[in-house]
Amino acid sequence: MSGLNILPLPTFARLGVNFVERDAAFETEKISVPAGTERQIIQFVETDSETSVTIAENAKLKLVQVFTGRCASVLKTAVADNAQFGLIQLYLGGDTVSEIITGLNGYKAAFAASIGYDLGAVGALDLNLVVNHYGRKSTSEITANGVLRGNAQKTFKGTIDFKNGASGSKGSEKEDVILLDESVVNKTVPVILCAEEDVEGSHGATIGRIDEKHIYYMRSRGIPEDKIYEMITCARLARLIGRIGDEEAKKRIYSILGWGDEDE
Amino acid sequence: MKEKTQVADVDRAFYDFRYDEDEKNFLDSGITPDIIREISAEKGDPEWMTEFRLHSLDVYSRLKMPQWGPDISGLDMDRIVAYLRPQKRMQSDWNSVPDDIRETFEKLGIPQAERESLAGVGAQYDSELVYHNVRKEVAESGVVYTDLESAMHDEHYAELIKTHFMKLVPPTDHKFAALHGAVWSGGSFVYVPAGVRLDIPLQSYFRLNARGAGQFEHTLIIVEENAYLHFIEGCSAPKYYEASLHAGCVELYVGKNSTLRYSTIENWSKNMYNLNTKRATVAEGGKVEWVSGSFGSHVSYLYPMSILNGRGARAEFTGITFAGEGQNLDTGAKIVHNAPETSSYMNTRSISKSGGISTFRSSVVVNENAVGSKSAVSCESLMLDSISRSDTIPAMVIKTDKADVGHEARIGRISDEAVFYLMSRGLDENSAKALIVSGFAENVSKELPLEYAAEMNNLINIEMKGSIG
Amino acid sequence: MSELLKISGLRVGAEDKEILHGVDLTINEGETHVIMGPNGAGKSTLGAAIMGSPEYSITGGSLIFGGEDITAETPDKRAKRGIFLSFQNPVEIPGITLSSFLRSAYEQVTGERIKLFAFKKKLQEAMEILQMNPEYADRELNVGFSGGEKKKAEILQLLVLRPKLAILDETDSGLDVDAVKTVSAGIKAYREQTGGSLLIITHNTKILEALTVDRTHIIADGRIAAEGGAELIDEVTANGFDKYVSGGSL
Repeated sequence: MSGLNILPLPTFARLGVNFVERDAAFETEKISVPAGTERQIIQFVETDSETSVTIAENAKLKLVQVFTGRCASVLKTAVADNAQFGLIQLYLGGDTVSEIITGLNGYKAAFAASIGYDLGAVGALDLNLVVNHYGRKSTSEITANGVLRGNAQKTFKGTIDFKNGASGSKGSEKEDVILLDESVVNKTVPVILCAEEDVEGSHGATIGRIDEKHIYYMRSRGIPEDKIYEMITCARLARLIGRIGDEEAKKRIYSILGWGDEDE
Repeated sequence: MKEKTQVADVDRAFYDFRYDEDEKNFLDSGITPDIIREISAEKGDPEWMTEFRLHSLDVYSRLKMPQWGPDISGLDMDRIVAYLRPQKRMQSDWNSVPDDIRETFEKLGIPQAERESLAGVGAQYDSELVYHNVRKEVAESGVVYTDLESAMHDEHYAELIKTHFMKLVPPTDHKFAALHGAVWSGGSFVYVPAGVRLDIPLQSYFRLNARGAGQFEHTLIIVEENAYLHFIEGCSAPKYYEASLHAGCVELYVGKNSTLRYSTIENWSKNMYNLNTKRATVAEGGKVEWVSGSFGSHVSYLYPMSILNGRGARAEFTGITFAGEGQNLDTGAKIVHNAPETSSYMNTRSISKSGGISTFRSSVVVNENAVGSKSAVSCESLMLDSISRSDTIPAMVIKTDKADVGHEARIGRISDEAVFYLMSRGLDENSAKALIVSGFAENVSKELPLEYAAEMNNLINIEMKGSIG
Repeated sequence: MSELLKISGLRVGAEDKEILHGVDLTINEGETHVIMGPNGAGKSTLGAAIMGSPEYSITGGSLIFGGEDITAETPDKRAKRGIFLSFQNPVEIPGITLSSFLRSAYEQVTGERIKLFAFKKKLQEAMEILQMNPEYADRELNVGFSGGEKKKAEILQLLVLRPKLAILDETDSGLDVDAVKTVSAGIKAYREQTGGSLLIITHNTKILEALTVDRTHIIADGRIAAEGGAELIDEVTANGFDKYVSGGSL
């Protein structure tokens, strides 16, 4: 089978989460961040692309990727001793198959991923994120926050794999999904694989409606229900966008989202 | 009665394992339509059952092996005799059970357990049920607890069995369900009439004794409306060097506003392939409660499934899995929300030690019409050393916006601080760790009747002290 | 003085259990009422029922506010009419700043748009009264706030939203002496600035010191067990609630 986004450990076939069938013609790109340096890269990904990243010792990379169209993307990253990889990804509609494979190869290699999505009324997303902890005391922290509306469909597979020898490592994964309409389909598969005793791993997911207590609290201050949903869903993306340190990119994202100025 | 466990090196490369090559030669041996007819004739099956067996065999030969889960290539069907004829017909008087069989059961404490606290006991020795008895007052309330073969021939239940048998787990479900449909033998039939609440549990105890024996018992439980039943299933087997197969099937029908609790402490010998299928359907306002402890077997595939078909139906799954040396235990649960306002709760623990592999695998599916449903899953894993493995692979599929689904999982080790604290109070290191692990297993032990909780703690202590060899 | 809130024969339940068994209580414009009573008597339930909490259901009786029946109204409609509840345990809402939340609420309640600058100024004034660090305006709503900070943030919202009736549910509980003083100053400012009514649910008389209490109600076992003026507060402070609890003292 010519599958993309293959789940590292397959599960019940009927759930349809083990792989995705998709033909893709990848353009490849290589990024390397030399030892001791820092880089920030912002990409608007619109075509099939495969990116290989190496982050050398004591280097830092902050990578921002924004997806809007129909495309397949593979991002493979190798993180060396004391290097840090910060990834922000936004999925704003389209039909995306996205794979993120990060090798925490070095001692104290660190990976922080923040993923946000609002796919609009017809969007689709299949996300397969795999973190391989090889290095001792390596750390990973993955958060995904999203909103599904209309007929949007999303699969988020997140795997933290503690390899034998990755002692002292920590990994955490958290997904929070708000479902707004009855015909959305959400699939969440948070996997932890572990072959090392001295590690700490956790994952959590909350899927569904906005907490009733939040709604009551906000309503008791006079805000009607539809406005509450709008505020909370916008807040999720706004929080992520706020962390992109580039005003031009922010403006471009706001215009994709159809938001006005930040103040309004 | 200590025997050394011997298990060949386990193939750890299960990631890459695909069954394609082996499949042709695998599991074909020995089972032909003629043999099925022979088994069926010997058991005196009604005609529909003979047909059902043959149909299942056909399905079996067409289905592929599962494409996920632990390696089962070590399972050699040539050595597994599907059906063992009983030495004697079923007895209802304990004293007329053959001596060697009675001794085995007495070692397991079964008759005592019956006398002390259990409403009824069914015990299966190899493939046929040899002893069956239900306390008089239980029988008087209209509760039926018998073996499936007898019930099939009883005019009161024949139709009920025909309409329920393998309807929940059809032979097409997976390859081993099909095998079960073809060669099943023995097991229990329980019927609880509407309005009857049994406040003492029914118990069944299965035990495999013959070398290379396969066991394919079937448990069918029907609980009518407004009733309550607690059914306890215990499993054990002496240790042999050849691989054995257990492909049982449990089907539970929980009626409107009824509760069925199904408890299992499984301690199969460590050469057993335990490929068991358990499933419940729950009607409006009903509840199924699974309590499951998996300690034994070489390889397990075990995911009790709850299908919530009625409004407000509920499922609870509480489980613990302990994978020690040579064990690859793939366990978990499946929940399907098919009706509005249904709810499910899953709470599991797994422990890996001495090279054991434990995998927690689950699925929660909330379908389109299950509006207002809720599900919460919580699983914790403990790694006791770095030659073991512990994998967690839950999946959630949600097809309505009006649902609340939560999941949390944690993996880690015993804290040095806790061990130090206990050692500072005089416990040696092993005892300290055993105590911590027992505490970790408390989610299950607190759900079990006292004597079972004690048995489970004993199993944990044995595993922790590494004194099996 | 005209009638602001009239509660008649109010029965309130949660999860099939009735908590309030027919409560009558009337608050006029500009009055300050105090509700006291033993734990679990139903005091907070009354506050939540007036606000329209989804955790409780009203099974009998009515709530009339400003002459209109609000018994079946949603909480946001009640808020727009001028009812405010200071929560005992305000929820944390990540992603939304205190300032943007309160600005939205202000626009909803008043029905008018307000420019960011003008709003910030209004907010700063209120924060000064409460001696709040201005940085809190840009923090996520209640996220990581201490117990005292959460209570101050509730009173801050009271000062900005200027409701006709403020229900304070144990706003003083868990606060140290200084914090009680600050919160009291905020409540006093609300009274002076708006002349609004107060319904104060409390265990503690400290918070009442700066206020003139018009009426005191003792709730026990889901009923109004006694009513009186400010003097009743001293009476219960001295003697406790024993005589109001069914079955007498233990």
